[in-house]
Amino acid sequence: MEKATKKKSRTVTRRAFLQGLGGGAAGAALATRIRGQAGGVGQAGVTLSPALSQKSINFKVNGKSLSVDVEPRESLLEVLREKLKLTGAKKTCGRGECGGCTVLIDGQAVYSCLFPAVRADGKQVITVEGLAEGDRLHPVQQAFIEKDGYQCGYCTPGFIMSSVALLNDIPAPSPEQIKAGLSGNLCRCGNYVKIYEAVASASQKMRKD
Amino acid sequence: MRKDAYPEDTGLDYLEMAKGKEPQGKEAQPPVQTDFKLIGRPTPRIDGHLVVTGRAKYTHDIFFKDMLYAKILRSPHASAEITSIDLSAARSLPGVKAVLPLKEGRVKYEGEQIAAVAAVDENTAEEALRLISVEYKVLPHVVSPEKAMAEGAPRVHDSANVEKLNEYSRGNIDQGFAEAEVTFERTYRTAIEIHHPVETHASIAKWDEDALTVWDSTQAIFSVRDGLARALGIPATKVRVIKMYMGGGFGSKLSFNEHTVAAARLAKEAGRPVKIMLSRKENSLCVGNRPSTRITIKGGAKKDGTLTALSLKNYTCGGVARGNSGSEPLIDIYKCPNVKVEELTVYTNTGGGRATRAPGHVQGTFALEGFMEEFAAELGLDPLEFRRKNYTTSNLGGTGIVYSSKGLDKCYDIGAQKIGWDRRNKRPGDGQGKKRRGLGMGSQIWWGAGVPGTLADIKLHRDGSVEAVSGTQDIGCGTRTYMATIAAETLGLEPQDITVKIGDTTYPWAPISGGSLTAPSVGPAVRDAALKAADHLKDMAAKKLNVPAADIVLAGKKLYDKNHPENAIVFKDLVGQLSRETVFHGERADLPAGFAYNTFGAHFAEVEVDTETGRISVLKHVAVHEVGRILNTLTAESQVVGGITQGISTALFEERVIDESLGKMVNPNLQTYKIATSMDMPEIVPLFVDLADPRINNLGNKGLGEPPRIPSSAAVANAVYNAIGVHLREIPMTPDKVLKALRDKEAGS
Amino acid sequence: MKNFEWTEPQTVEQALAWLAKANGKAVLMAGGTDLFTEIKETVVEPDLVIDLKSIPGLASIQKDEAGIRIGALTPVAALAADAMIKRDYSGLSEAAGSLATPQLRNVGTVGGNLCQRPRCWYYRDAQMVCRKKGGSQCFAAKGRNKYHAIFGGGICHIVYPSDLAPMLIALDAQVTVSSPRGERSLPLGEFYALPSKNVRRENVLATDELVREVKLPLAKKGTRSAYVKLKERETWDFALVSAAVRGTVSGGGLGEAAIVLGGVAPIPWRLGKTEAALKGKKLSETVIKEALRADLQEARPLEENGYKLQLVEAAVTRALMSLARG
Repeated sequence: MEKATKKKSRTVTRRAFLQGLGGGAAGAALATRIRGQAGGVGQAGVTLSPALSQKSINFKVNGKSLSVDVEPRESLLEVLREKLKLTGAKKTCGRGECGGCTVLIDGQAVYSCLFPAVRADGKQVITVEGLAEGDRLHPVQQAFIEKDGYQCGYCTPGFIMSSVALLNDIPAPSPEQIKAGLSGNLCRCGNYVKIYEAVASASQKMRKD
Repeated sequence: MRKDAYPEDTGLDYLEMAKGKEPQGKEAQPPVQTDFKLIGRPTPRIDGHLVVTGRAKYTHDIFFKDMLYAKILRSPHASAEITSIDLSAARSLPGVKAVLPLKEGRVKYEGEQIAAVAAVDENTAEEALRLISVEYKVLPHVVSPEKAMAEGAPRVHDSANVEKLNEYSRGNIDQGFAEAEVTFERTYRTAIEIHHPVETHASIAKWDEDALTVWDSTQAIFSVRDGLARALGIPATKVRVIKMYMGGGFGSKLSFNEHTVAAARLAKEAGRPVKIMLSRKENSLCVGNRPSTRITIKGGAKKDGTLTALSLKNYTCGGVARGNSGSEPLIDIYKCPNVKVEELTVYTNTGGGRATRAPGHVQGTFALEGFMEEFAAELGLDPLEFRRKNYTTSNLGGTGIVYSSKGLDKCYDIGAQKIGWDRRNKRPGDGQGKKRRGLGMGSQIWWGAGVPGTLADIKLHRDGSVEAVSGTQDIGCGTRTYMATIAAETLGLEPQDITVKIGDTTYPWAPISGGSLTAPSVGPAVRDAALKAADHLKDMAAKKLNVPAADIVLAGKKLYDKNHPENAIVFKDLVGQLSRETVFHGERADLPAGFAYNTFGAHFAEVEVDTETGRISVLKHVAVHEVGRILNTLTAESQVVGGITQGISTALFEERVIDESLGKMVNPNLQTYKIATSMDMPEIVPLFVDLADPRINNLGNKGLGEPPRIPSSAAVANAVYNAIGVHLREIPMTPDKVLKALRDKEAGS
Repeated sequence: MKNFEWTEPQTVEQALAWLAKANGKAVLMAGGTDLFTEIKETVVEPDLVIDLKSIPGLASIQKDEAGIRIGALTPVAALAADAMIKRDYSGLSEAAGSLATPQLRNVGTVGGNLCQRPRCWYYRDAQMVCRKKGGSQCFAAKGRNKYHAIFGGGICHIVYPSDLAPMLIALDAQVTVSSPRGERSLPLGEFYALPSKNVRRENVLATDELVREVKLPLAKKGTRSAYVKLKERETWDFALVSAAVRGTVSGGGLGEAAIVLGGVAPIPWRLGKTEAALKGKKLSETVIKEALRADLQEARPLEENGYKLQLVEAAVTRALMSLARG
């Protein structure tokens, strides 16, 4: 299992939590499964789950198994971009209002900016970097080039991932289904109708092969 | 002299560049070739594989070792005086490497920069901002132009809130109205529009001794370089700006930004590279917007529709900056001997306006084209025929010089046929039922000649590889691809054989990528360089093949005798015989004097209005543009599609909402500043009248970036008018406004 | 963003125990699409986030002889795609499919949707300390209020933004709430509370309670439901006004019906007077508009949102007429 480079770690002591403080000293990281304090015992003798200030997540990104230490406040998008240097998914609003960060998690299209990285443990993540096989582009990628499905290209990785999710779900979508399937992605350059053509073209190619 | 100024000093007057310098050239360009093999075909983008695999590097995507992240503290107040600022706690926070105060004294809008920090990561930088304590003396603010114009309003600057912006007149306006058989007056309003490029503004500053390199998401690398040099007090020779890919700009990235200066200063202090990425909220507040307008047009005409007089009064608001002149379309496009224009700018305590895709023309066209539609109804004329009645082949409404090329009449013909113009309600609002349909149109005029003096190089390497190099920008229009296509066409190669290098100030000068300048500036410069390279190779080949140079053809990656094609030499082999790699310098030549160089177009829209919910659905939108020769039909169509989409978006949804009493924007995000989604799209039909201009440059092409944006909102609004019989005269046409217009119409009748 | 701790309870009891222990400094995260946004905007700054998705068995749609049970952690997309829901509770399927976007529906949950915080732009700005955040004024009252409430306002003028809530209420849903004291069930219509009750919250959950599941009675034969959502954009928009209706239509007359509005009040707004006026009546647009008058008379529009009255007419009429068409 490959260990991705870790930037920093933060440990919040139990005392600090109870005082309502965040933050803490930076420290070197070890590949332990769980850091932080054990939960202790709550009311009625229920054993509390541990409160983690950091979690080591083991997940697959584009088919590769990785282990990364993440803080609860980190989104999957930040981990992909800042830690793994997979900059295909973009941080365009950080609020799930534009779709530029769309990736696939266990086959579903998700806004990675709103997906806590701690939840990526055990998941399979596919980003736009994971679609091509060597030099062979995915039919959706190829169609985006052939039909000029982009202008500035910044929303394109997000649209490509949404398109892949759509076509996996509905291999022969109607024009209405294409519009609806892509309705969670904004294109400010305004190239939507070209994007539909690309998706329709890709769906035809994928069904032929 | 009409002039719109922008808060950042670009070093170049933007509109002067867009309009084109006074033509100096005496001769027409060489006859424009028509039988191109590559130019004018649909060519997929040559760098597509980088974009669709996520490997294209935008400024947000670039990292350096030891790089710091900067954030800026911004004023929460619309109007205030900074009385004290304490940076000490921020400075002591572990992980913070540099802190700078950016502002003293008077703050004039929500979002104005106060201080900047650079830290090891974004969370630390954010925490540092929280530790900066600023004391403000909050002052009275004014955030609406109406209130700013009122007696006793708080002053935004040291001078009056209302200032003269532009004036123009020709003929005798009073006489013109006296001659009219029918006069008509209407007022139209457009809202503030925020660019919201999907990639927020971002810069990385990196010093190497006393030399600065900046990676910037920008449409204007040379403007950024020169502006930074001035702001930092260092020579331009010590600054280099690089832009490989950018995620949109639409005019908000046309000059250097204050935050880039801050990043450079922080990098100097910290001794490490500094990256700054603005948030979506900052993009909403402080990097520009399209100024609003309130335009009153009064027209006089004969009963048969011949215009005798047009006057325009515009109150435009660009926040702390000047607004937009919107009178150019009225001054130019329709034949009218008597015209008077008065434009005033109104200041408010809000973020300053910036150039936004066709500044002024979008607003002015909304007003003018709405006016033409309504005046036509008043006159009992078909609105298209009313426009045709006042068609002219000379600029300034027929009083100036002849257009070098003008295909607007053909745009009308084709567009009207495609939409089915005779399906429209003969009288606006004639339809029945809860859902009413209507058709509307808008005419478009813009400049598009490009900038003489633009430079490009073609470099031939001895291994047969070819570079096309220019310090231009590809902001999504496909610049790289048409540069490659032009070079390949000229040298008998394929676009994939050309390595295109752009986006670096060490490359030959090119203008900003705005104003629809790039294609008619860089295209001809590349063509010029490639022709020089071709001539040189022809001379070399002539000696080898023992044939006059004039008989040599470059095609199919070979050079050969046109009369005996088998007498040939392969391009790669010939170039291998150069003594060294060889550069050919190209320049976009001057424009022949005596002509006006403009682009034209016409949009036709069909809408359905749900009169119970106030919802407008655009069903179909046809656009026909004449921009000279089309270089690449595939990417050109995308430009048109984009301009239509943006026009629909602003016609129906986009509105910056400000709370007047608080002086704050309440929708600085993409959830409540609403941009059109995929489900809001109509059937879009983008078409071209593809006719090469005979003298504008060595390709016959004009700029396309802005034309499709100009009449798109107007066409939709006019279609709504045709559908329901009342023109809202205001955008965005949200359900509440549509329902009110319908109620008012009902009450009136 | 300030850091916080994260815990992954394996049972509802563990989650409740943490809630109690954290004494107001912890929040529950279901899908997280609303909560994470609030944390990023610093409207909410928890010390601890309790992950509900790690608890097994909370995401399912089950039918038994008593009715339908929808686990609180069921993704909205699963609800929208469920064939049985589409067949027997079509309005609920429409409501689920109408909200947000595919990506948000994949992650957002039924429980999260029912407990989401308001979208009022003053509430969502951490700098503006309105009554809901412990301050002393409502900025919307005299401010920018085109999206705000026309009913039930007063000290606070939010509208409750959920699409599932009005539809589930119209379908007579019950919500099961778990606490250290055990479980209780209450009609979803009683789950929401006006600001006058407690302006800081939108529902009656105590600080140590969580929503566990939603229950629907078995669909009666001949009963139909519909959801009409009026917006500005075609998608990705909260309702300007929405109408959730459930009723039986026989021989042209409306039997027992429920009409609940979204987007008009701080809670889903039931049109009891309209329901009473329509009972037994043959539906037509004129009849519906007339029946709405009594409820609409209670509206107190603000400066910018009077248009919502017309939208209420349109939404309710369309929703009811679609029931008649079946």
